[in-house]
Amino acid sequence: MTNFLQEVLTRLGYVFLEYQGNAEFRLLSPAPRWLSEVWIIPGAEGSIILVAEKSPFLADFLDKADVLLSSDDNATCQSEPWVERSPSGKEIPLQALALHVNGKRYLALQSPETQFKERAQLLQTARESLLEHEKLLREIQKKEILLHCIIHDLSQPLSVMSVTLDCLAEEPVSKKARRLLDLGKHASDQQMSMIRDILQVFSSDLKASIDAEKGADFTANLLQAARKVIDAFTPVFLAKTVSLRVDARADPSANWLVRGESTRLERIFSNLLENALRYAPSGTGVTIGLSREGEFLKAVVDDEGPGLPADLSPSQIFSLFSKGKETGGKAGLGLYFCQLTVERWGGAIGCESRAGGGSRFWFRLPVASQGEKTPAGGDAPREAATHDTMSIGKGPMRILLADDQEEIRILTTHQLERRGHHVVTVANGQKALEALQREAFDVILLDEQMPVMTGLETLKAIRKQEKKHGHAVVIALTGYNTDPDRERLLKAGFDGVIGKPFRMKALELMLRGAADTTQANLSAPEEEAAAPAPGSVADLLERVGGDERLLRKMARTFLRDTPKRLAEIQKAIRAKRGEKLAFFAHALKGPVGIFGAEEAHQHCQDLQEHGRKLEFSEALRIYDALKEEIAELESNLRGYAGQKGSPRSGATRSGKRRVLTSKRKSR
Amino acid sequence: MLQKKICMLGAFAVGKTSLVRRFVESIYSDVYQTTVGVKIDKKIAQTDDREVALVLWDLYGEDDFQKTRWSYLKGASGYLLVADGTRRATLDKAISLAQRAREEVGPLPFIFVMNKCDLAPDWDLEPDWEARLAALNWTTLRSSAKSGEGVEEAFLQLTRKILAGS
Repeated sequence: MTNFLQEVLTRLGYVFLEYQGNAEFRLLSPAPRWLSEVWIIPGAEGSIILVAEKSPFLADFLDKADVLLSSDDNATCQSEPWVERSPSGKEIPLQALALHVNGKRYLALQSPETQFKERAQLLQTARESLLEHEKLLREIQKKEILLHCIIHDLSQPLSVMSVTLDCLAEEPVSKKARRLLDLGKHASDQQMSMIRDILQVFSSDLKASIDAEKGADFTANLLQAARKVIDAFTPVFLAKTVSLRVDARADPSANWLVRGESTRLERIFSNLLENALRYAPSGTGVTIGLSREGEFLKAVVDDEGPGLPADLSPSQIFSLFSKGKETGGKAGLGLYFCQLTVERWGGAIGCESRAGGGSRFWFRLPVASQGEKTPAGGDAPREAATHDTMSIGKGPMRILLADDQEEIRILTTHQLERRGHHVVTVANGQKALEALQREAFDVILLDEQMPVMTGLETLKAIRKQEKKHGHAVVIALTGYNTDPDRERLLKAGFDGVIGKPFRMKALELMLRGAADTTQANLSAPEEEAAAPAPGSVADLLERVGGDERLLRKMARTFLRDTPKRLAEIQKAIRAKRGEKLAFFAHALKGPVGIFGAEEAHQHCQDLQEHGRKLEFSEALRIYDALKEEIAELESNLRGYAGQKGSPRSGATRSGKRRVLTSKRKSR
Repeated sequence: MLQKKICMLGAFAVGKTSLVRRFVESIYSDVYQTTVGVKIDKKIAQTDDREVALVLWDLYGEDDFQKTRWSYLKGASGYLLVADGTRRATLDKAISLAQRAREEVGPLPFIFVMNKCDLAPDWDLEPDWEARLAALNWTTLRSSAKSGEGVEEAFLQLTRKILAGS
């Protein structure tokens, strides 16, 4: 090779070898340092090298190159980059070029270090990003599971509270008690709303569902939503002597349809009204105003309070976890939810201090034409959203209720029977199927999570039998009260879905197939006052709607089932069966919660957590404490259940107020 | 001395390079370094009664950026199929790679290792993953390039499997 060509190739980083036969190659130029390092060869020009012995990669490459080049005398064949480790441990990237020129075979080698590093860096960055993304997705999934567990646990006692309040609403009570009851119901609704807000804000599934809605042509009536929320809020505003009204200039005959979904639209109004009430002084008023602004409809909520807080900008007010320093909100989720929802529907939201005092919160949403469709059920409550698929008569119905929580079964049965329905209850899906073999039902209510056979499994079995018996109306009761969960259950074949906790009226509405929401908002009729509950058991009686017979029944149920549940918990701890421990602790938690046994409830909660995390070291100690609490509770309940045994004497261990403590101490 | 070519197969970042380095040099680094192209290493393995020179072809992990070049598998005596217990999708990838390898080069002896067993509490796998692989008749091991657990066993078991078939 001429000196000139040799110099050029060396500068380009190549070293050339010529095939000599017998697997030998001859160096056509002095070996560069990287080649001497990796192969430890005499680097002088003309040296003979057994390339295939030095590098398994090259042996493989040359075999393949021979095949490719044999058909073309002047062709070239390039390898992928590969890395060889020198005896000193240094990694050296290499790339090879095989070529035939004028009947001779050559091998060119180079160490493309710079390009190799750049490529490695690029891939490294891309893959690290992918790994981060995967990690983030896993974290989100974990969070979702945790969130659903928390929501489920929050919903269970709330469900009982809600049904209990419905029971009370049907009792003859004084006007004063009725007002208090309205407040209690409102607080219960607020709590439900709060749970939904938490789900809405933190659940990625729900965010995705809102995203999906963004492009959908759902509509809701702005004026109707405002009026409905005003009806619901009036008692609370009255209690604080704050007036609440819709601006009279809002013409009912105009088009008030906006892009959005009615339930969430009502929640936006609810959150804004709650916010206004928090700051409105007694004797002032809060007004909802509606108007058209071009292609948008605008809603304003005006109060006569102190105006916007000086410590927060309008954008901060709507941010996550934002709370005013003075009066403060709850968790700082409500307004964030409003912003999230309004913006996803293509609207805007804001707030300002009013010139005459007070503050104004406003939002605007794109106008929808009259022809655009409303989601299933239109403005009906969510629970009633699907019952247009049902055809049920107006008379008493035969209802099958399957729920593993006996207390839910008792309270719901109590309510439904008072409305004249015939109710059969079972504790799991298997038993529901057996009941269906024995008799026919107009409606089947299935709890989603049950032992032995879940609600979904039961539904599948029922649907299979429909070919013989015709369509059965099956409604899901679920603690996972989110839109995606509803969609999932409806997709699975349920005719309707009621999230727990549910309002009795919503259930009744669904049972009747009545989509008219105005019925749902009628307040219970005023009736004469009933005799107050006995003082020493007032607390407990309040929990069951003042029905002593029901109380006795529940106490008997509790006394019957609890030893079994305790034994199962103990067994699960000893066998280190986390899933069983969590299951039985959960099963006991609901009933002790109903009876207000706070410490026992906490112990159950702790055991459930330990079960989930497969931690058993502390479980026996918690179990012993739980057993002690349960013993006290059982002792007190025996008196009401008409069983032998009296409340134990002596001070409580914790000193905290417990169920029936006043009765125990008075003895 | 008998020489055998062994390839490392698996999704990216499952720890193929780390397993090789642990086996060859007893070294481990927590820092993830992606592999570009192929890395060649050699190790003399002592099986029951004989020495075998293993030439380890550490192939880059397959993903959207780099697809496996199946020609590298030609001439191989067997391969070690690797997945990461903390990433469920890497098991599915391993299953599809094994299927593809069979289509490309025919049946080859291989051992499956579920790597990163030092992170077992964080594993994100279906409870029945081992049963699923047993149903495929796979030889399955757990390994950790970090602690060294199961690493030598995996390579030696593969070597025995190769020798038994040759």
